[in-house]
Amino acid sequence: MSLPGNAMDSLSAALKCNIIPNQEYLLQGSVLDQYVEVLLHRLRGLCDNVDSGPESFHDHEICFSLRIPNTAASTPMPMSIFSLRVRRALDVSDTPYQLRYIGQQELGDKNRPTVVRSSIDMACSSTILEFLTELGCRIEFEYIARGYMFRKGRMKITVSKIFKMGGNKPESVEPISQSYLVELSVLAPSGQDAIGEDMRIFAEQLRPLVQLEKIDYKRLGNIM
Amino acid sequence: MGVTILTQFALENKTGPQTVEVLSKRICALGAVQQGHFLVDCETYTSVPQLGHQRTVHVLHNSEQPATVFSLLDNGTKITALATDGLFDLLMMKMSQFYTSKKQTKAESKGLRYEIGDFYVKLGTVTVSSNYKGILVEVEYRPCVVPAMCWDLLKEFLQGFLGLTAPTNPPTYLQNRMQEVYTPIDTIHQYLEHFTMFRKSPGIYRN
Amino acid sequence: MSVNISVEAPIENQIQEITYDGTEIYQPPLTLSESLAKYAQKIDFSKTELEIKKEELNEDSKSDTDSKEAFQSSLWPWDSVRNKLRNALQEVCVLADVLAIAKDKRYLVLDPVQQETLETKPMVQIYARKKALAGAASVLLAGSEKMKNSQTEAARSRTTLDFHIELLRLRQNWRLKKVSNTIIGDLSYRTTGSKYLQTGTFEVTKAEDEEKTNSPPSSPLPGSTASAKPTSALRVSIPSELQGVAYIEVLCQKDQEDLCTANLTLLGSGAPPTNPDMHWQQKLEAAQNVLFCKELFNQLAKEAVQLQAPVPHMVVGNQIMATVLPGIQLIIALRHSTSSDKKQQNPPPSKSDHDHVLEHSLHQLLREVHHKNTHHPFPHPATGPLGPSKKRMLAGPMAADRYELLEMTKTQTLLEQIVQQAQHFIMRMRTEYVLDTIAKEVKDPLITSHWNTLNSPTQSCVKIHISTHGYDAVCRTPLIIHVGEKSLKCICRDGKVMNMSYEPQELRDLIFCHINQHQILAVQALAKTMGWQALGNSNHLGTGTVEPLGNASSCLLSSPTGDRIIAVRCEPSTDTQVSVAHSPRQDFFPSRLVTERKWEHLGGQFRDVRLDKMEGRNFLHKMELLMASLTSSS
Repeated sequence: MSLPGNAMDSLSAALKCNIIPNQEYLLQGSVLDQYVEVLLHRLRGLCDNVDSGPESFHDHEICFSLRIPNTAASTPMPMSIFSLRVRRALDVSDTPYQLRYIGQQELGDKNRPTVVRSSIDMACSSTILEFLTELGCRIEFEYIARGYMFRKGRMKITVSKIFKMGGNKPESVEPISQSYLVELSVLAPSGQDAIGEDMRIFAEQLRPLVQLEKIDYKRLGNIM
Repeated sequence: MGVTILTQFALENKTGPQTVEVLSKRICALGAVQQGHFLVDCETYTSVPQLGHQRTVHVLHNSEQPATVFSLLDNGTKITALATDGLFDLLMMKMSQFYTSKKQTKAESKGLRYEIGDFYVKLGTVTVSSNYKGILVEVEYRPCVVPAMCWDLLKEFLQGFLGLTAPTNPPTYLQNRMQEVYTPIDTIHQYLEHFTMFRKSPGIYRN
Repeated sequence: MSVNISVEAPIENQIQEITYDGTEIYQPPLTLSESLAKYAQKIDFSKTELEIKKEELNEDSKSDTDSKEAFQSSLWPWDSVRNKLRNALQEVCVLADVLAIAKDKRYLVLDPVQQETLETKPMVQIYARKKALAGAASVLLAGSEKMKNSQTEAARSRTTLDFHIELLRLRQNWRLKKVSNTIIGDLSYRTTGSKYLQTGTFEVTKAEDEEKTNSPPSSPLPGSTASAKPTSALRVSIPSELQGVAYIEVLCQKDQEDLCTANLTLLGSGAPPTNPDMHWQQKLEAAQNVLFCKELFNQLAKEAVQLQAPVPHMVVGNQIMATVLPGIQLIIALRHSTSSDKKQQNPPPSKSDHDHVLEHSLHQLLREVHHKNTHHPFPHPATGPLGPSKKRMLAGPMAADRYELLEMTKTQTLLEQIVQQAQHFIMRMRTEYVLDTIAKEVKDPLITSHWNTLNSPTQSCVKIHISTHGYDAVCRTPLIIHVGEKSLKCICRDGKVMNMSYEPQELRDLIFCHINQHQILAVQALAKTMGWQALGNSNHLGTGTVEPLGNASSCLLSSPTGDRIIAVRCEPSTDTQVSVAHSPRQDFFPSRLVTERKWEHLGGQFRDVRLDKMEGRNFLHKMELLMASLTSSS
């Protein structure tokens, strides 16, 4: 057996070699409730191995954030915000909690087919909620996502209904809107931009049921 | 998975490598077989003042559980433990604005790993920011998961090759957890205890 | 064949006059300048869209006069052109001035003119559209009706299937694509998860013997010819390496057994496999099967070379030999008969003991591999990464140690799995054989074995009952034997677990020991029902001659009054011995050693009972009679 290397050294080596999948390529869209069946039907036709029906999921997500006032005057934002998401499956037992950091998204120019954002994704033990609270994080929002997921090669497609948390009881949830959120994503090491093209072609096949697009959250923020 | 006891060990008038050699000879005389190396390291991050009262995050890796990163969050009154995938280190880098690493406190224990029947023995040389601090002996008894049920056995085994300096009481961390099921995170807690002691000690730590 | 065609130029000049004798006098052709002037006159400079309507009215009369003027007063043919150009210049100049002023924006401002909106009546529009659509629909309907008619006409008149219909059917079952002018199909298992490199492309063409297939419609009785041989209009050409019939032959063989015991013909290969008239569906299925077998064999051969077995696996040509148990080999061979050697060469010696079950398992195993290649687990929660198994996802948070992690990466190869299945198959066969022969050899007690109907390819279970006919309520000895891959596990009546190796003799010995024990136990149970008392018993008797296997077992029984004692001794190798003693002994003669009569209560000498001379169906029956007689006589 070889000498076990320092974990940090091996991690930075892996970072250099670009083998850590820390970039998320993402397209988003939505579909009205009454057309979701049609979309699922189409996805069943397009995706891999849906012979046994689509895989359903039922997850609970909590978004935490760490924030401190910025002392340096040069930075435009008054606060430094660092947000982390914790997600766990409600329908499948014995699954780990998933902790996720999502970086600033890059829309890129028109030629780039998808949004690219850095993403650090890890499974963690159930102490994560307590850990984050102790770390100084506070809960920003939480929701329940329920829906179906599909895969096509490396691409993952989720069709999910987002529910507001109503009190503490999990059954008293109410849907946020009359539509389903559709996401097409790939987690890959950075520099694999070719996948974006595949995603664009796939998204093309879902038109006009769903317009999967690069959504600019900043602009959405202005609208609201 | 079993119960692990961690103890410091030192011999009068002997340097670190000499001590390890003596122990290695003794354990091999008992019939142990050397099985590779091991490494446990610990890096400590402290919160920036703007975040309020100070908290420390100790991030530890154990080569026995190569897919896991252990984090112990100390807020002064209690310690919260977390076990995650290997990417947690990457997350800590991203959090550098909130939690800063103190490079000079990086501690590690590394050395050879032996197997003798149901016991695993690890003879570790401890360094804090690459300064030699002492020797840590780890003994794991594989078939049992409740410390209270195998403490006497472990004590006897430790005395078998550490002699009179072997501990007579369970480690302080384990003392009020003797009846609980032992998990790998408990080993990490013990390592952190010892690393903290080593960091505080001025030079070579003696029992 | 060609016909001469004369090419004549059309008449270019106008005829001016035809004389009486028929000669045509042509007008002299116009000179270049004349014709230019003529064409120039024809240009209508003033004609713009706005003026079209106004001018249209007077155009005819004007142009008539114009042309007359031009022809007659040819004083200056460019006159009209000049006038028109001058007018145009004037207009342009005015426009330029206006634009210059407008540009200043001081004296003149140009405002967009509101265009008059067209007044539309929605109802009228709808009616108009409806009418137009109805018109279009009727045209389409008529067309489709016509096409349908012609289609049915064609179908009725034609017996052979249409190429395109055939192609459509082909398309429903096979993957096709068009590459330039050819249609290429793919019969590989690539889409279902195979990673085999060999391609499985085939080409689809129209059958060349078009004349032959076209002849039936002209014949007066099309139905009869069609039923005789429905020829297909479609032809598939398969690469030569995929032609023919292939299958994987699996057999288990012993060392000493001769390799060529029988020369049976291949199963299902009675008909030449590559019959040109074979339907394309069967042809493609056969080719796909060839490809599958090749992949399977390729995979197995690769594994056989890589695996480190105690007895190395051998790969020779199209044959893999693996040692299953000492002296027993598993032979896996790829049998592929192509069209070229279908008649000349004898089919390979196929042995009668070709194992269809193992062959089927092999197919199943590869399909499982394919399935695994394409069916990856979904992450839960949904944001997790695609790929790692649920167990691997938990490895981090649950702090799995390196052994557990290593265990997760381990997978069994196909060859290992099939060897295990073969081992189990042999073990099962041997166990069956041992049990059957014992049941045949031993009539008393009876040995019955029940095989569990539910078993796995590497594990099965048999329950054995040892009982005596007519006395099964008195005593029965159950045994359970788990048949594994290389070992047997027997759970005895008392809960003891015996592990045995693959040697059948061990099982045989064990069963014989249990037969003995059963007899002794059964006699004691019987004695209890008869009111006799068991004085003692031993399953492992230390006295007597040394047994070749196991130990003799024995018991002592005494009659209800205690005056009779029966001793039973069972030896695995020999028969059961039964002796009887009386107490007090009936014949007492004082001797020098035993002087007083009170010693007669010690019990007399044991005398052997000749069981074979006794009446009774079996041992227990005889014992019952014996005990009964001894009880009554007292």
